[in-house]
Amino acid sequence: MEDLKANDKRSYIDNLIDFFRKRSIWMLHYCTGCGAVELPPSMTSRWDIERFGIVPMATPRQADVLLVTGYVSLKTLKRIIKIYEQMPEPKWVLAFGSCTVNGGIYWDSYNTITNLAEYIPVDITVSGCMPRPEAVIDALQTLMEMIQSGEGGAYKKYKENYEYYKKNQDRVLRKTAPILGSSETESIYQEKEGNYET
Amino acid sequence: MKLDKESIIELLNQKGVEVLDLYPNQISVNIKKDNLLNHLVFLRSIGFDHLSFINAVDFIDEGEFELVYHVWSYTHKIHVLNKVRISRNNPVIPTIVNLWEQAQFYEQEIHEFFGIIFEGNKDLSPLFLENWVDIPPLRKDFDTKEFSVRLFGAEIRR
Repeated sequence: MEDLKANDKRSYIDNLIDFFRKRSIWMLHYCTGCGAVELPPSMTSRWDIERFGIVPMATPRQADVLLVTGYVSLKTLKRIIKIYEQMPEPKWVLAFGSCTVNGGIYWDSYNTITNLAEYIPVDITVSGCMPRPEAVIDALQTLMEMIQSGEGGAYKKYKENYEYYKKNQDRVLRKTAPILGSSETESIYQEKEGNYET
Repeated sequence: MKLDKESIIELLNQKGVEVLDLYPNQISVNIKKDNLLNHLVFLRSIGFDHLSFINAVDFIDEGEFELVYHVWSYTHKIHVLNKVRISRNNPVIPTIVNLWEQAQFYEQEIHEFFGIIFEGNKDLSPLFLENWVDIPPLRKDFDTKEFSVRLFGAEIRR
C-alpha cells in the first residue's frame, strides 16, 4: 500500500480510486485492421490478459480503453471518433503498430490516414507490424502504471484542444474541395449527381 | 447439350467477332461497344448463364478504358472473357443489369473507382468511398502518393 500514500499532487482518495481503476480496465471490442488477430491469443489461455482485470466489452459506454489495432481508413476513422466520444471519462487509447503512427505500408494510400494522433489523442503507441501479444501486454501494463501515477490523461487534451482535433477530422472526412481533381472530372461528377435524382 | 471449345469458337466466328484461344477452358473475345449487348445476349442464349465479374483496365497511353466481362458456363465449362474498349474522354457504356442482376454491384464499383458511366443503370451511388469529389482513385492519372501527402500529411523520407 506504499504507492497509495498522499503526496503534493495527489490525495489518498485519488490514489485509491486509481488503484482500483487500473485493475479493472475494460477494453472496447472494436477491431480495425490486421492487429485484431493479435487480440484472441492475448485474451485466451496462452497469454490471458484477464489476469490483469482486462476484459473485452461490447459497448463503448462501458469501456475504458479503445484499442486501434492497425490501419484506419476514412470510414473507420468516422466510427472511431463516434466511439471515442461516446466513451465515458476517464478513457484511454492504445494505438497498435506503425500504421497508426505514420501510415505503415499504407502510407501513400488514398483512403487511410497516416497519423492517428492528429484526430484523437493517443496515450500509448505499441511498436511493431503487428505487435506480438507480449508487446500488447507490456503496453497494457505501462498503461496501468500510468493510471496509477495519474499520467494517462490524454482525454483531457481532447477537451482542451477540441477545436484542433475537430478541424483535422473535418478536413479529411468532408473532402469539400478536390485535392488533385481537374475541371474535367468535376463536370463528370456533376452529371453523375444529376443521375442520382432519378 | 454440352458444346466443346472448338464449336463455340466456330459459333462466335460466324457472328463476326474476333476470338482468341487462350487456355483449355478459356477464350477471349474482342467486341465493339455497339455490339456488346447483342453479343452477351447471344452468349447467354447458348448456355453461358453466369457472369463472374466485370473488370475495368485503364490504358492511359492509348486513351482508352477496357472493360472485361467474365462469363462462365456451367454446362460447357468454358470461361469467356469479353473485352470492350471505350474512349477515356467519354466513358459511357450500356448497362447489362437487365441481363444479369449481379452486374449492379460491379457496375457501381467500376463507376466509383473509374468514373465510367453505365447508361441505363438507375443506381450508381458510391459503395465504398464517402464524400469523394476528386478524380476516381483507380484511374492511372490519380497520384495516390501526392493525394496522401496533401490530405493526410504523409511524410516522404529518403
